[in-house]
Amino acid sequence: MKPPAVFAVALASAACGAAVTGWAVNSGQRADGPDVTLTETGYSGPAAVPLGGLAGGLAPPGADRMANPLGNGPDVVAHGRRLFGAMNCAGCHGYDGSGGMGPPLNDSYWRYGGSAVQIFKSLYEGRPKGMPAWGHALPASDLWELTAFVQSLGQTPIAPAAAATARAGDEAKGDTAKAAAPALEGQ
Amino acid sequence: MQPHSAIGTERGAFNAAPGGRRGDWTSQAGDYANSRFSQLDQINDGNVARLKVAWTFSDGALYGHEGAPLVLGSTMYLVSPFPDRAFALDLTKPGPAIKWVFSPHPSPQALGKACCDAVLRGWAIGGGKLVYNLLDAHVVAVDLATGKEAWRTKMADVAKGVTMTSPAFIAKGKVFVGNSGGELGVSGWFAALDLATGKELWRAYSTGSDAAVKIGPRYKPFYPQLRGRDLGEGTWPAGMAQTGAGAAWGFVSFDPDSNLVFYGTSNPGPRVPVQRPGDNLFSSTVFARDADTGEAVWAYQFTPHDQWDYDGVNEMMLLDLPIDGKLRKTIVHFDRNTYAYVLDRQTGQVLKATNFAYQNWSKGFDYRTGRPIVDPQMEPQPEKTLDRVCPPDIGQKDWEPPAFSPRTGFVYLGAFNLCMKLTDHKVSYIAGTPYDGMEMKRFSVDGPDGNWGQFIAWDPVAGRAAWRIPEKFMVLSGALATAGNLVFYGTSDGWFRAVDARSGHVLWQQKLSSGIVGQPMTYLGPDGRQYVAIASGVGGAANVQATRDGYPARGSTLYVFSLDGQTLSGSHSGAANPQSDKPAGAGPGSRG
Repeated sequence: MKPPAVFAVALASAACGAAVTGWAVNSGQRADGPDVTLTETGYSGPAAVPLGGLAGGLAPPGADRMANPLGNGPDVVAHGRRLFGAMNCAGCHGYDGSGGMGPPLNDSYWRYGGSAVQIFKSLYEGRPKGMPAWGHALPASDLWELTAFVQSLGQTPIAPAAAATARAGDEAKGDTAKAAAPALEGQ
Repeated sequence: MQPHSAIGTERGAFNAAPGGRRGDWTSQAGDYANSRFSQLDQINDGNVARLKVAWTFSDGALYGHEGAPLVLGSTMYLVSPFPDRAFALDLTKPGPAIKWVFSPHPSPQALGKACCDAVLRGWAIGGGKLVYNLLDAHVVAVDLATGKEAWRTKMADVAKGVTMTSPAFIAKGKVFVGNSGGELGVSGWFAALDLATGKELWRAYSTGSDAAVKIGPRYKPFYPQLRGRDLGEGTWPAGMAQTGAGAAWGFVSFDPDSNLVFYGTSNPGPRVPVQRPGDNLFSSTVFARDADTGEAVWAYQFTPHDQWDYDGVNEMMLLDLPIDGKLRKTIVHFDRNTYAYVLDRQTGQVLKATNFAYQNWSKGFDYRTGRPIVDPQMEPQPEKTLDRVCPPDIGQKDWEPPAFSPRTGFVYLGAFNLCMKLTDHKVSYIAGTPYDGMEMKRFSVDGPDGNWGQFIAWDPVAGRAAWRIPEKFMVLSGALATAGNLVFYGTSDGWFRAVDARSGHVLWQQKLSSGIVGQPMTYLGPDGRQYVAIASGVGGAANVQATRDGYPARGSTLYVFSLDGQTLSGSHSGAANPQSDKPAGAGPGSRG
């Protein structure tokens, strides 16, 4: 496992769209797409990870299989939980992750993908409907810790291999659960 | 000077200004006084059972529909929730026909900054313009005749958590607006813009120095705790007033006789009280301000050091009521903290403070100090769970506006029957994120199977309910009272009801496609018929019920009712003139 500082460097270059990067990601062979080495796409690292369903069919598959470099151990999740409170994430997504101003994080449905690196990317870049871009404020290690905590909220975290099909909308099973309640009211 | 055209009886009266053509409905409340009373009586307690849908209209937006359509002459004006599209409907044409559509394209970033759904509580018309707030903290004016943008004024930066959801209010050639964002550590303010140009005339903050709050020599509050220098800073820990909220996200009212505008301010920020010892002025407060200059004339704080997010934004109804044998100019205000207040409109003195529903945070009211007496056991401490605080953050009544009938002397209001389990967590201010810290679970006062809502006829002079209708779901719709001895309201699960204003008996009801969180209104069409309109599109605070069985899906439809569903006949389509079986050529949709 690489130390967090290395990932911070890699992310900084990825965010600039630079071709030069500290590492590259190779995907395995896939049934529904070609083998992709992300250094061939012009983008590298987490920046190459496609958005969830928004990215559409032209998105290169593969990078979303990248695992959390810090792992998902209890210490990492605990640090992520602390950050989830300290950065006011709970104010939007609920203290239990059931949603409110922001979408729930404790189910199996992900607007922008539910694999570790997809969650990292949403944290890093922000999202258009109000999610702040935390890549400006927090080091990569914090974002990976938050990623581990967010993945721990779901009852069945999406395995990396399933993330790509989840993007296409044919992975998550439908259910009869009701929408979560907003946590807030007042203004 | 507006004429004082009082409508009333010995039971109570109000100024019906600005008046206008009988049968128009040109502001959210129908008048400056926030009465929501209509003198129309074609539809009345004797024939309301014949009410049927005359026509419907979808605005295509699915967030909570909280505003009332307005009618001026032969045109209806309505605005959707985000993306805040405006529609003008020609009521002289069957259907009716869309005259124009205006799309302001507000920033979608606002969707993630609005605490409680991407709503809009109403809009205003005046000076030949339709004026309303955009969720991304702009005010826009649209020419009534052309549907073209007349002006747009940026009021704040939505990226810092400021949204605007309140209904713009027009009086004296000015547009009065306030901000939302009490959960995001904004600096609350209320402002006046020039109706002709959109230029900002004045802005008064709820916290900060006397200059920022526009407190000067004319400021004379009734209670001593509201007197002193720079209380908008001095009642806060150092440096916390500027993120202390006091947003102005409710309805405005205006008294032409005294030239005062009245509005309430939101909860203080953050919502965790141990982080901000002090009264936290001027949060959860009503201000009376000079409409021309913005100067504060008096203020009164409903919930000092608000510890439960009770706010003070609910509407001020400007009613003249018989108190102790003489007609007094009052404000009637149903606070989220569950006190029904009667205030002296000229001084801010509390004449009456009575609980209109169940609460357990306050042990009574101290008339000498004007302060509610807080039960110390209900004061939240971080990381210590309180199992049952009543009401919850949204109060036993939220922003939904009541109606007053001078015929009965009653005020009619939608209300709740709720408590919360509460755990506070300390928070830090990060611009554009919630500055909040309340973890809550809400439930009925009466346990797992209890009702969540009620509709109340309140006698403001006696300080007690005349009757109540228990409702399974929260009543988050406005109310409408009419000279036909009727009161209309809707439930958040979609029942639209007409009840006898005296007895509360349900005389007519219909289930609409989605839940109701809008405001009923009534008007006379160009055809001379009386219509009643209500939006069906659940959302906003009603969504705290989202996990309950029977809670409806979102909707986007305005329903308009008339006796027997009668309206203009005819159609614009070919259905008006059926043609013979001879092909009419390659028209639209033809594939040749």
